[in-house]
Amino acid sequence: MRALSLVSGLLMSLCLAAGCGRPSGEPGAAAPPAIAVIPKGTTHSFWKAVHAGAEKAGRELGAEVIWQGPHKEDDRQMQIQVVQNFISRRVAAIVLAPLDDQALVPPVQAAVNRGIPVVIIDSGLNGDAYRSFVATDNARGGRLCAERLCTLLNGTGKVVMLRYQEGSASTARREAGFLEGMAACGTDIELISTDQYAGATIEKAFQAAQNLLNRFAEIDGIFCPNESSTQGMLRALQTAGRAGDVYFVGFDANETLLKAVRDGEIHGLALQDPFRMGYLGVITAARVLKGEPVAPRIDTGVILLTPDTIDTPAIRALLNPPPAPDA
Amino acid sequence: MRPARQPAGRFRFFPFRLRGGLGPVIGLVFVVLLFAVLGPAPFSSLYNAKTIVTQTVIVGIGALGMTFVIVSGGIDLSVGSLVALSTVVTAVALNALTGSGGAAGPAAPLLAALAGIAVCAACGFLSGLITARLRVVSFIVTLGMMQIARGLAKWLGREQTVMTPVNWLQKAMLVDPEPGWLLLAPGVWLMLGLLALVAVVLKYTVFGRHVFAIGSNAQTARLCGVNVPGRRIAVFALGGAFAGMAGVMQYANLTVGDPTAAAGMELDVIAAVVIGGGSLSGGEGSAAGSIVGALIMAVLRNGCNMLGAPNYVQEILIGAIIVCAVLIDRLRNPRTV
Repeated sequence: MRALSLVSGLLMSLCLAAGCGRPSGEPGAAAPPAIAVIPKGTTHSFWKAVHAGAEKAGRELGAEVIWQGPHKEDDRQMQIQVVQNFISRRVAAIVLAPLDDQALVPPVQAAVNRGIPVVIIDSGLNGDAYRSFVATDNARGGRLCAERLCTLLNGTGKVVMLRYQEGSASTARREAGFLEGMAACGTDIELISTDQYAGATIEKAFQAAQNLLNRFAEIDGIFCPNESSTQGMLRALQTAGRAGDVYFVGFDANETLLKAVRDGEIHGLALQDPFRMGYLGVITAARVLKGEPVAPRIDTGVILLTPDTIDTPAIRALLNPPPAPDA
Repeated sequence: MRPARQPAGRFRFFPFRLRGGLGPVIGLVFVVLLFAVLGPAPFSSLYNAKTIVTQTVIVGIGALGMTFVIVSGGIDLSVGSLVALSTVVTAVALNALTGSGGAAGPAAPLLAALAGIAVCAACGFLSGLITARLRVVSFIVTLGMMQIARGLAKWLGREQTVMTPVNWLQKAMLVDPEPGWLLLAPGVWLMLGLLALVAVVLKYTVFGRHVFAIGSNAQTARLCGVNVPGRRIAVFALGGAFAGMAGVMQYANLTVGDPTAAAGMELDVIAAVVIGGGSLSGGEGSAAGSIVGALIMAVLRNGCNMLGAPNYVQEILIGAIIVCAVLIDRLRNPRTV
């Protein structure tokens, strides 16, 4: 018994300290509609911007935005559970960035069966259970990067592409777009490695990138399709003393990557508009709730950042979205 | 308070075991009540209860297998990877069976699932063989198997998720089962059936008693005529088979074979067994306790979702619960740690 009371005491104090003892039972009539927004993870700065955009839309609409990532970053099973829990909680609508284009189909179908409309953001989902798909045109982003690298290389050289992760639809499209763009660049481009995967974290990407750099002594151009793979590759280039010697184009941005652009270690970054993605995701969900028609596909745009354009107002606005209120 | 120590170790079948078995149940009731009071109304709904039970299935089935391993004094770190391997083997086998136009229809998914379970049982058998015959500690052997199985899964899946045609297996983990008269997902019924089976095997069969005896004191068990290496191999093969079944349920949930699935799940599984009264020094643990342990973690995850608490709160909570559970284990058996 002593041990049990110890457990309960600890639990209680933890709960209080963590602030999960929020008062419950607000009357349902006046409560604003709750819109759940489920990212792929919570630690990338990309998702923090999506969060900020979603919160802004929530404030404008007077809707409650509930932000909840999978309990383990990039774990499909955990994301399925989050969707299930929101169905159980009876939110009004769900905005979801699916970790897998197939695995998330059944839970989304379950939500729709229970009368909860779903809007998909960032990455595609198979089937047609969802109401709208709000995302970057990833293939175009990949082609944009290929064009940039092609210009830098003058149409000749050895190129490496480090893929992101198995089963991720959005990055797979960027990779396909890049390969397409490279093929259009000319016959003097030699793609020496396009089959390696970086994995979910910067640490894993770093190791994969190190291995690639060790394998190929001579590389002229590199492409990475997302934030963590770009940063892992950057670190590998830096520790190998090869940063700046290789033309390097990446996807997404954060403080480290921007500094690398200024230092001449990265020569191009394709920027999505995650803030707009979160914002339009919630707005679209709210439209569905009101019964208004929504487009099945909404493009949120891609812009290429280069050392020359890094200080232009358009890029600055993308890089500094208003912060999420309680993030 | 505490029973007198038996010279033969902690091999005991008297009422104190019952008391130890009730601890996790009280813990479960406590967390459920906690969230019922703090959380929003839907937490207490029947649908949410069904959701939580369905979410327990994968870790729960894995924990049943792990109960054998931990009671016998071993550990199996390869469970997460085996789950992933099982999803991939099931998916690949399913594609092979339906692709050739052979055993399509209701039999193919069953055969594919059996293939997944068999491969994982073989991996477990191998771990057990090396542990028991070559006398390498199971921590190291299964640490290796964790990598091997993960690699095999990625190789078989060609480093991608394996898509499969629609089949009845994919309905095994729906919170609202089809047909509706099942009330709970087929996966939940499977877990409950296995729970009954494991409980009976552990308590009332010679094999079960041998497993407890080995975990309590392998030397004594050997002197009493127990085939210790043989039993150990069987225990790890069983653990592998259960991980395989958990993997089939994982496949049912994901509807694809996923080589990256269940990374780190072995820790959830081990935590479930430990929260449920299993002792990492062997000789203690129960099937029901392990399922309750898995349920406690699922309730915590679900409840924190309901409260809108950020993930780190839930991680801290589960961590605290695990440490407390081990603390209780230690209070009961002060000499074991």
